[in-house]
Amino acid sequence: MAAATTEKTTTGFFFEGETGRNTRGLLRLIILCTIAAAAIASRLFSVIRFESIIHEFDPWFNFRATKYLVQHGFYPFWNWFDDRTWHPLGRVTGGTLYPGLMVTSGVIWKLLRFLTLPVDIRDICVFMAPAFSGLTAFASYLFTSEMSDSPSAGLLAAIFMGIAPGYISRSVAGSYDNEAIAIFLLVFTFYLWIKAVKEGSIMWGALTALFYGYMVSAWGGYVFITNLLPLHAFVLICMGRFSPRLYVSYTTWYALGTLASMQIPFVGFLPIRSSDHMAALGVFGLIQLVGFAEYVRAQMPSKQFQTLLRAMVLVVFALAFGFLVLLTVSGTIAPWSGRFYSLWDTGYAKIHIPIIASVSEHQPTAWPAFFFDLNMLIWLFPAGVYMCFRSLKDEQVFVVIYAVLASYFAGVMVRLMLTLTPVVCVAAAMALSQILDTFLVASTPDEGDANKKPQANGTPAGANGSVDIKQQFANLADGLRSTKAPLVGIYSYLSKSMITGAITAYLLLFVLHCTWVTSNAYSSPSVVLASRLPDGSQHIIDDYREAYYWLRQNTAPNAKVMSWWDYGYQIGGMADRPTLVDNNTWNNTHIATVGKAMSSREEVSYPIMRQHEVDYVLVVFGALLGYSGDDINKFLWMVRIAEGIWPDEVKERDYFTSRGEYRVDDEATPTMRNSLMYKMSYYKYNDLFPAGQAQDRVRGSRLPAAGPELSTLEEAFTSENWIIRIYKVKDLDNLGRSHQEAVAFEKGNKRKKGGAGKRRGPRVLRVD
Amino acid sequence: MNLRVLGLLLALLGAVAALSAQGSKLLVVLEDEAEKSKYSQFWASLEDRGFQVTYKSPKDSSLSLFAYGEPAYSHLLVLPTKAKGLGPNLTPNLIVDFINAGSNILLALSAQLSVPSAVSSLLLELDITLPPDRNSLIVDHFNYDTQSANEQHDVLLLPSPQASRKDVKNYFSVDGLIAFPHTVGQVLGNASPLLSPVVKAPSTAYIYNPKEEFESLEDVFATGSQINIVSAFQARNSARFTVLGSVEALEDKWFDASVQLPGAGKKSEKTANKAFAQKLSAWTFKELGVLRVGSVSHYLNEGSQKGVSNTTAVGAALDINPTIYRIKNDVHYSIEMSEWENDHWAPFTPAAGDALQLEFSMLSPFWRLDLQPTAQTANSSIYSAEFKLPDQHGIFNFFVEYRRPFLTSVEEKRTVTVRHFAHDEWPRSFVISGAYPWIGGIWVTVIGWVIFVAVWLYSKPAQPKRQLKAGNVKR
Repeated sequence: MAAATTEKTTTGFFFEGETGRNTRGLLRLIILCTIAAAAIASRLFSVIRFESIIHEFDPWFNFRATKYLVQHGFYPFWNWFDDRTWHPLGRVTGGTLYPGLMVTSGVIWKLLRFLTLPVDIRDICVFMAPAFSGLTAFASYLFTSEMSDSPSAGLLAAIFMGIAPGYISRSVAGSYDNEAIAIFLLVFTFYLWIKAVKEGSIMWGALTALFYGYMVSAWGGYVFITNLLPLHAFVLICMGRFSPRLYVSYTTWYALGTLASMQIPFVGFLPIRSSDHMAALGVFGLIQLVGFAEYVRAQMPSKQFQTLLRAMVLVVFALAFGFLVLLTVSGTIAPWSGRFYSLWDTGYAKIHIPIIASVSEHQPTAWPAFFFDLNMLIWLFPAGVYMCFRSLKDEQVFVVIYAVLASYFAGVMVRLMLTLTPVVCVAAAMALSQILDTFLVASTPDEGDANKKPQANGTPAGANGSVDIKQQFANLADGLRSTKAPLVGIYSYLSKSMITGAITAYLLLFVLHCTWVTSNAYSSPSVVLASRLPDGSQHIIDDYREAYYWLRQNTAPNAKVMSWWDYGYQIGGMADRPTLVDNNTWNNTHIATVGKAMSSREEVSYPIMRQHEVDYVLVVFGALLGYSGDDINKFLWMVRIAEGIWPDEVKERDYFTSRGEYRVDDEATPTMRNSLMYKMSYYKYNDLFPAGQAQDRVRGSRLPAAGPELSTLEEAFTSENWIIRIYKVKDLDNLGRSHQEAVAFEKGNKRKKGGAGKRRGPRVLRVD
Repeated sequence: MNLRVLGLLLALLGAVAALSAQGSKLLVVLEDEAEKSKYSQFWASLEDRGFQVTYKSPKDSSLSLFAYGEPAYSHLLVLPTKAKGLGPNLTPNLIVDFINAGSNILLALSAQLSVPSAVSSLLLELDITLPPDRNSLIVDHFNYDTQSANEQHDVLLLPSPQASRKDVKNYFSVDGLIAFPHTVGQVLGNASPLLSPVVKAPSTAYIYNPKEEFESLEDVFATGSQINIVSAFQARNSARFTVLGSVEALEDKWFDASVQLPGAGKKSEKTANKAFAQKLSAWTFKELGVLRVGSVSHYLNEGSQKGVSNTTAVGAALDINPTIYRIKNDVHYSIEMSEWENDHWAPFTPAAGDALQLEFSMLSPFWRLDLQPTAQTANSSIYSAEFKLPDQHGIFNFFVEYRRPFLTSVEEKRTVTVRHFAHDEWPRSFVISGAYPWIGGIWVTVIGWVIFVAVWLYSKPAQPKRQLKAGNVKR
């Protein structure tokens, strides 16, 4: 923002002519560097406040995979069969991950070592996201500069992108996730695509494909590009804007990009088999037809050709679509994935795929989130999209399409706010730069000059080729009033200063807001919880790491740990113990098995745990501290997922009281109170309180006077604040009794001396 | 399992003279020092076999099954007492702990001394039920000793015990009749696989309480072969617990007695009690039926390692017991098994009609194979199997689980990872004949493109005028 001001207010030797261009270039560079620095700096809250630590859940897996890559090299990583997750199924990890992130950090690590800078791989992973956010800011500068003639638009977009909370939420230091590099790649690929469409050059098209390939290797969200670029091409064709430039850039991108994407084992043949990729293929075919038709028309021009062409296009499109449907129905092309359906019908996942619905980031976005994540950008955004319509060239069409699609998706899924953020930043920057360009001119406009005003105050004429075209265009359409360039000119210094002042205030508030949001909402590692003591000082709750390190130091290296899948990656990363299920939810049945073990009675759960060779069970329990993200609150998802596979054995209804309440106190249903999860959570919890006073601080209810009894498990570890409780699975009883009988015997209860003689009913004879 | 084997070996080193595979320290719990002399032949037999026998009274305060948290004795022999219970040092819980620690117990009962409730509740934990009446004994009007119990019919004479199933080895066969005077019958629960009868009562036997005055028996506790005279329990950790219904069978008196079955033509003959007592104590105190697993090895049976059957011969070149295989690998598995026979390890052979089986399992077995005996050493036999791994990646176990009555259990689990094909392990495209059309297509396209480019480059350019015109066509 300061940049824009600096550029406009002063005139003189340094800002005119050839020297001026150089000076401006230098300034621009300095500003961009400053923006990158700001982007990085604003993401370091968590490192300063806590430590250099990997955050949340998925990053722990990425971190573990990166360590594997660094330790074993690329090919072992490529063929990695991970026998420490999804026990006993294992996971073909090398073939089921997007390797881009790990390989990138691996390369950086190697490079630094080559430069004799031995940096710990963890630090590279922690600082990966902030570093790439600097690059993202630069990429959005390039992208916006292609969109707008205004010199300030690019810089504004860069700083918006740099500090918008919508992007920061996934890219703070320690948030070592695929999105960390994917957003940079997304924006940069779009920039290259726009460049390719503008120039019609094979080189830019190939570069687009190259970065598209990189994007595919980095994030599953590449499908967004795979569909957006064809859509852009398709819309351009429909608008009658087919050009050899489009043909060259699209075909180059599609052919090379598809080949590149197929090199990733996880993607493999999806680009030619899955419905998600069919749009790109279809447009590729269409563009050939259109190109052919254009060629034919150029050879033999005729009046009727236009209609013939349109009809042909429609027929071919209909045929291709029908063919696609046929292939999908017959199963040659993979049907749309569940995640895809849930994009269109927000209720779909809840009914059909509880495992998708159970992820909080797959929930529909709450409206305040848009303001929270984007602040004033969200109301500048429509203005920016409107600006695109004012000079609707090929690249502006792209922004419009992107804006429409991304807004929809962001409304459906919280996590897709991430894809919306870049276009919001770009559009808002375009709108804001227009305002600034109009109001930040010191000199009063000349009456006669007014017609040329919009160009004159911005780029020096001729600096950008498109300006000439625009001018020509304006001259051409002189007869039409609507296409006349509007007369813009602000004469009063008062209005100028008022608007400028207001905008400056907004911008400053925006920075404040972004910093506040980043600091308060997005900088918690979620591995370490922070709370405030009454005196205002910070209190760190470190139960997770305490428990994971207990596992790491006190259990056998191959002890299998069963927990709900949320904690799988963390156990794998921090405790280094094999887990049954983790956040890579590839096997719904296996997760349902764990859900069943958690939600059933001990007698049912024990054989399941034996079969899966479980040694320890880990539960998260927040009742003592009032930590609401605990397993009892997630419990219904376990029940639902288990019910999906075993509808006869696990029923969600049984966990609700007759009045339909989900309770843990005296009125909890017997099914609830006998479930393993309930027992593990509240086992011995009563002992902390005076008799009958046990209180659940999350659910705000008083617990039954008698706590649950466990016979097949024994408590192994409970963390300081009881957040994590670990139980050891007992071996079968040495004397062949059931665990209940064994426990009763140990407590001194004599077995009922029924014997064979006193038994009611027919005597059961022993047959040897 | 490894630990257990190691424990056995250590115990073996510690007591070379002992014949037991486990240890030589034997505690005999008997109430009266005077009673000791009644069993002198039995004690002599035990001491001859290398047991260090300690005699203690249950009232003795120095009696403790544990020393410093470890079992103080490897074996325990409990004789019946007159007292109501076994005292504070032999509570059922302590005895269960003693079993859980792997020690063996021989419990002798007698119908002449009522069974303490502590004992019957302990037996209930093992799923062995005693008659509710304390003085009940087994009576048989067809198999009694005419010389000593002509009236009472409560001294049973039974032939040598037979193996109950074909696939079970018989460790208790003796020549001649065994006398069981005043026997407490036991009824075994139906569910527990850990229990097995050693001597069952004949089909004509029943349980009878001599104190009851009734003429007819309406509600008999148990009859016929449901009654067990001697039963054996082997815990999951292979600790043995034997219940002998008649303690008198161990007395010197019955070792040398001559007995006679009722009926014409039956001769008086000497009892086989001595031999039976020897065999029963030998089995209980792990001189018999103890299995040991020696080396377990598995290796890749393909490539340069194909057909290498003798693992010791090749040595370093062979990659033994790798942690990871690939799907569809051929593998070789072998296990070395020995059985303790009184004083030495001998090669183990399963009973006829039985087989040692190997499971290759993940959640459920993918293979279940009979292991074939392939080699034998002086002390062990080696069983092996060769097979192809399933087409399923995951974490698998080579699992040998061998649980048979009267044999200590064997549970050998070796976990291996079975991975998928690596990217360079698939056959190359030119090896697959079905791929030839596509490979041909690729090369035709490549060559065609090169030719096209060449022709394009060397053809004469068209008139530049027309080209410009075509480029300027307005949309």
